[in-house]
Amino acid sequence: MIRDISIGQFFPGNSVIHKLDPRAKILLTLLFIISLFLCKNFFSLLLMLVFAVVCVLLSRISVNLIWKSLKAIIFIVLFTSALQIIYNDKGDVLWKPSETGRFCITTGGVYSAVFLSVRIIALILFTSLLTYTTSPTMLTDAIERLLSPLKIFKVKVHSLAMMMTIALRFIPILIREIDIIMSAQKARGAKLDNGKLGERLKAMVSVFIPLFVSAFRRAAELALAMECRCYSDGTQRTRMNRMRFTWRDIVSFITVGILIFAVVFTSFYPLWDIFLFQAVM
Amino acid sequence: MAFIEVKNVSFGYGHKTPFEVQALNNVSFSVEKGECISVIGHTGSGKSTLMQMLNALIKPEAGEILINGKNINADKKSVSAARFTVGLCFQYPEYQLFGETCFEDIAFGPRNMGLNEEEVKKRVLQAAGFVHLKTEKLDVSPFDLSGGQKRRCAIAGVMAMLPEVLILDEPTAGLDPSGRESVLRMIERYREHTGATVILVTHSMEIAAQMSNRILVLNKGEIAYYGTPQEIFSHSNELISMGLNVPSFTKIMIALRRLGYNAQDVYTVEEAAKQIGALIRGGRDT
Ligand SMILES: Nc1ncnc2c1ncn2[C@@H]1O[C@H](COP(=O)(O)OP(=O)(O)OP(=O)(O)O)[C@@H](O)[C@H]1O
Ligand SMILES: [Mg+2]
Repeated sequence: MIRDISIGQFFPGNSVIHKLDPRAKILLTLLFIISLFLCKNFFSLLLMLVFAVVCVLLSRISVNLIWKSLKAIIFIVLFTSALQIIYNDKGDVLWKPSETGRFCITTGGVYSAVFLSVRIIALILFTSLLTYTTSPTMLTDAIERLLSPLKIFKVKVHSLAMMMTIALRFIPILIREIDIIMSAQKARGAKLDNGKLGERLKAMVSVFIPLFVSAFRRAAELALAMECRCYSDGTQRTRMNRMRFTWRDIVSFITVGILIFAVVFTSFYPLWDIFLFQAVM
Repeated sequence: MAFIEVKNVSFGYGHKTPFEVQALNNVSFSVEKGECISVIGHTGSGKSTLMQMLNALIKPEAGEILINGKNINADKKSVSAARFTVGLCFQYPEYQLFGETCFEDIAFGPRNMGLNEEEVKKRVLQAAGFVHLKTEKLDVSPFDLSGGQKRRCAIAGVMAMLPEVLILDEPTAGLDPSGRESVLRMIERYREHTGATVILVTHSMEIAAQMSNRILVLNKGEIAYYGTPQEIFSHSNELISMGLNVPSFTKIMIALRRLGYNAQDVYTVEEAAKQIGALIRGGRDT
């Protein structure tokens, strides 16, 4: 289960999405997130979801893999949906277990639960594409270039970008580490997946202590290895691969531009939404 | 029926992802009670995967594993029983230490078995004896020990459960020759005391020849050879082509043969010395 989380990993490939300029990818991801929060109705949200799915298909990353990493976040989706259903009391009452109690399920609650779930799924689908299709070095370069205007304020842009990339890169390594430590403690009879809640929590201690120890050890080793190779702030560094905007990037920006326009437009003229909302009820 | 029976076991990682690997492919073998088996193979040949299966940490995708005639993956009960019958010590076990003191860490396994405190204490002291960890070290934090002592403490943590089958995944990795020797002595002490069956994963043919009565050679997830050290070393050319290192004396014998001497296959240093001595006296015979 824990192994299925593949966020932060890079899958080399040769697809259109892989070939986009990493700077463009970061900006497009930001634009996508912003427009996701501009969505006010189902039609615009559906548009975003379709766009995300099309991008995933274009990236040629195995659907199975994406499906697995989506399954790993199902808990978050269910949790937020449950909160919405319980606490949102707008709209008509659908079900009320007792006449005197305050608890009831309303159309508003169900509506916003579905809305939020779709929003989270679209968000995860699209944002995970960024690291799936961009190598860590490219990603650092891109972050650094995008943040470089901050250099006037004496911000160490290069170090920031480096830290971000290393953090991203460490996610899969630590997940693998958790996996090994969990197996080792299970081999010593730790009740990690079959005990009572108290026992499980106690067993978790036997996983987290070695995990922290090894995270610190790895960080120290990495720092040492970087110093041994004379890594420094990188102000004077030149690049092996220059990044260039191409027609692909222009096309992708135009596509996302049209998408945002469509989202804003349908949010102001919610003709479709009235139709859909009535269909739901 | 043998004590441990592995029947047509297969397993792959990361199905339907770009990283898909078939780690084990139709593996079958059996181990008798009290034997010491060495498992040898090139890196990535599936040794660790196989070992985790014997302990029911990984469920085979095909085939089954029987211990004492019982399928260890039959139900939840038999899985947790297998965890205690088979003690598995992972590669670099010192990275899994967590106890406040060494005593607490070694006691983790026995406590999970549900033993009372008195018995737990007895087990910890006994295990510390197997690995020659000094009693005063038991009250020290495991993180304050030296690398070699950490390894001892971690191995003791598995031995304290007194498993009938002890599996060690490269217990000598990253140790100097004397550290290596002392780990091997611990395993021998444990065997003598408990009569346990031992399975040892190693990269070194010397260790395999010295410790075990049978050797299992894995190559790309399949069993290449399974037999006594003598039988295995008679295939030394094939072993070399699998990327395995045969003992240095075997290499010498092969080289002598290539030079035209009548050198037989041997599997201990003593035999090699005897033969070379005879050859020096006898000279070239072709
Ligand atoms: N958790 C995992 N996820 C994905 N693939 C794995 C995992 N563990 C092992 N593999 C792969 O399965 C194959 C067999 O691995 P295994 O660890 O069993 O080899 P090994 O013989 O123990 O190697 P080594 O001598 O390096 O320890 C390898 O190709 C490895 O990359
Ligand atoms: Mg291994």
